[in-house]
Formats: sequence, structure tokens, C-alpha cells
Amino acid sequence: MTAQEPRNRTPEPEKPAVGAAGATKTAEVMHIDLDARKRLLAVIGGNRVTYCYQCGACVGDCPSARFYEGFNPREIMLTVLLGGLDELLCPDSIIWKCSNCYNCYERCPQDVRPVEVIIALKNLIKEDGHQPQDVQSIYETILKTGRSAPVIAGLARTRERLGLPPLPPIDMAEIQAILKPDTAEEGRGPENELGKRS
Amino acid sequence: MKALFFPGCLIPIKYPQMEVAVRRTLPPLGIEIVDLEGFSCCPDPIFFQAADKVGWLTMAARNLCLAEEAGIDIFTICSGCTGTLSEANHILKHEPPMRDMVNRRLKRIGKEYRGEIEVRHIVTLIREKVGLERVRESVKRPLEGVRVALHYGCHLLKPSDIMRVDDPDEPQILHQLIEAIGAQPIVHDERFLCCGKACIDPDLPLEMTRTVLRSVKEADVDCMGLICPTCFSSFDTGQLLIARKTGEKMDVPPVYYFQLLGLAQGLTPAEVGLNRHRIKPLSLFEKIGQGVT
Repeated sequence: MTAQEPRNRTPEPEKPAVGAAGATKTAEVMHIDLDARKRLLAVIGGNRVTYCYQCGACVGDCPSARFYEGFNPREIMLTVLLGGLDELLCPDSIIWKCSNCYNCYERCPQDVRPVEVIIALKNLIKEDGHQPQDVQSIYETILKTGRSAPVIAGLARTRERLGLPPLPPIDMAEIQAILKPDTAEEGRGPENELGKRS
Repeated sequence: MKALFFPGCLIPIKYPQMEVAVRRTLPPLGIEIVDLEGFSCCPDPIFFQAADKVGWLTMAARNLCLAEEAGIDIFTICSGCTGTLSEANHILKHEPPMRDMVNRRLKRIGKEYRGEIEVRHIVTLIREKVGLERVRESVKRPLEGVRVALHYGCHLLKPSDIMRVDDPDEPQILHQLIEAIGAQPIVHDERFLCCGKACIDPDLPLEMTRTVLRSVKEADVDCMGLICPTCFSSFDTGQLLIARKTGEKMDVPPVYYFQLLGLAQGLTPAEVGLNRHRIKPLSLFEKIGQGVT
């Protein structure tokens, strides 16, 4: 699926319900790719998707669903439940159309927090190295400077003219030290229940 | 009262006029701004969190540790910083496994998150610690007859169980702050629509921005009143981009709330940095008898 093509609203009996690498559905049997699903459930914020009962409360107030044909948080949750991660983790994944407005988080009666599931999916895309340029450049700017906006030439003078103090320095050795993962498995693994909130 | 200033990135770097307005308008309310060296990006709740959730939480925790060491509650001036720091503070206070994981990383730099401070957006700080009466008392030139279209943006209010600022479906806090400076808060149809800045798409953000701007235009106001620099960038740069791409000129001036407060406190438009704006609130200047250079 590409971002431009709206996907099927409801899985048709004769067609695969989700991407070929995910679950496939025939008239009789639906195969759910549990291994693919497990990968997401292990990421912080990803595991609440299992509470989703497909009511669609997340859709009504979703600005991206309103303005972008084919973006539908309920369908994204369904795709995840069926294990069809491949179509959500591709480079031009529909999930980047999410506006991060948190309306779905507010509306969900099951506390799925669809936006958090989408953020967890985005983390997997980064892990796979398919992140969009916008994401990569902010990530690198923060890694290099500790700030999300590049400091442009002349800023120091502008700030001085406005009577503002200079931007204080940031200890980049500290930032880089804490951004290094402990182990590859840190922050994941359903056994430690990370991502569940009390 | 003392309040620890968390400046973030977008305002001090791209919109320093907003920082000017904050630094000038808080002392008359009895708030002593405390600057602290060492804060990094909050970090960015959208793209950085999308890239590295654990790193996002850990960097936020480091900022919170600095405030804990100073022993003063943080106030933020950007909705993104408010979102990241409030959410991280909430997670780390309530989820021991997450706190342990983050503290293992913080140990490398000799820090430990203890969960001792609060994070408040500046408007919440004013409501809770200063009071609206103090805002009214600081006004020297009420913005009488000035119609301000409110735009709360998303991350001051949501997720509401963590932010605990206001009812996201019926918020009052900005209405009250606008009324306190003598202006008229105007409710427009698309007041709850996201500005769209976080969507990665050539058209989608502009589509959302345009829908909000048309709704504001319809409401016949002097300006928009905002508290988020990301929303500001959508309604400022985004508006100019829409005009360039489609020829639709809306001339809706977005203004940061603390610039309006500054005007009401008697500062000139230039003293609150409005001379730097590309879409200037000219009818507002006229109503308060001020020009701008």
C-alpha cells in the first residue's frame, strides 16, 4: 500500500486482509502473524493495542482521518492486531500522517492510546532505518547540539539586541552518554512489562 | 515567588520575541524568573520521541534532575516542552520499572531522578500560583474592544489525565487570561483543530492550518491568541506558504499571549517584539493607539 491509495475499509473475504507478509485471510481461516505482533508489543506504548475492540471512537475526532483519505486509526490498530506490521513499517508508511494531537488518546474507552501505539511503530521504523528525513534531521540535530532547532548565525546578536541573555551551553558529553542504550534489549521485552502503566 | 525557567529550543532560537515578552511580563505578576545553565532540548515530543522513546524519556529525566538539584519547580513557555516534561515526569513518578531503567542510564553522569518537582506551563503557573487577579492588577492599558481568536493547540491540554490543565473539550484557562487583560476572547468553529505541524506530508499540514485560519477569518478578529510556538509557526509561516501556493491571502495575525499581556501592561509593540512579526496585528495596534516600526 502506498500513502496515496486508501486501503480497504473492511477486509473482503476473498482478499488478503492485510499485507502479504502479515496475516492473510481466506473465506475460512484467518492467519494472524503473532510473531510480527510480538515485536510491537515489546516496545514501550505498543502493548495496549491488545485492549482494542475496534469501536472506532478514535476515528471521529481524528484530524488526519478528516483531511487525509486512507488514514484511519482504527484500521491501523486492526492491522497491528492481525500482525500486518510490514505495511505499517514500510518507508512511506501511512502512520507518518498522524498529527500527534492525542484526540484518540482522549476518546478511547479502552485506554489503548492509539497515538502511543503509532509512536511505538515509528520507533520500529527508526530501528529498521526507514525513518523520514524530517525525523532523521531533528534526531541528528539533537544528538549533535542538544537542541532541536539549528542555531543560526547572527542569533547571538539578535538575542543581545533584544536584551536577552546568551544561550547557555549544553554538556554534550552528558547527553551522548545517556543516549547510548544499555543493551540492545533495554526498554523492550514483555517480561518486564515496560510500557504498562500503573 | 521563584520559578525555574525552561526556555526550550523553538522560542529562544526561532522566536526570541516570545522570550522577551515572557521575561518582561512575569515580574509585574510577582514571578521571579530563575535561569539555570544546562537544560537541553526537552526533547522534542514528536520526531525525537518517534525515533527513540527511551532516549526521549532519559533526556527529559536529565532536565528534571537539574530542576530537582535546584529545588525549584519548572515552568515552560512552549506546549511541546510542557508535553514532554509533564509526560516524562508522570511516567517516571508512577512507573518504577521505567524509573529504574532511566536511572541506570542517568547513573553514568552521576544523576538520579527522584520525582521531587512539578512541571507547569506558564499559564497554569499563573492560574495556580499567581491568580488572575494579579494579572488584572498588572494591566495599565486594557485591550478594550480587541477581539482575540483563541487557539489552545493540542499539547497544553492532552493527554488530559497527565496534563491536568483543563477540560480539553471545554477549556477556560485562555479565555480567562484574555478577559483579564480586557480583551474579548472569540470562540471560532475550528478552535480545536490541530495545526497539523507534526504530519509528514506536503499538503496535509497546510490543509489543517488553512481550515483553522479560514474559521478565524470568518470570526472577524484582530488577532489569534496562542501559547504554542509550533502552532505559531503553522499560522505564520504556514499562512504565508498557503498564500504563495494558492494565492489565498487571509491576513490573520497570530500573536503569542504574553505579547498581548505586555501590550496590556503598557509595553509598546516593539518592546514585546511584535515588530519582528511578518503578519502584524494592525487593527489591534489601531485600537490601542499604537503604531509599530
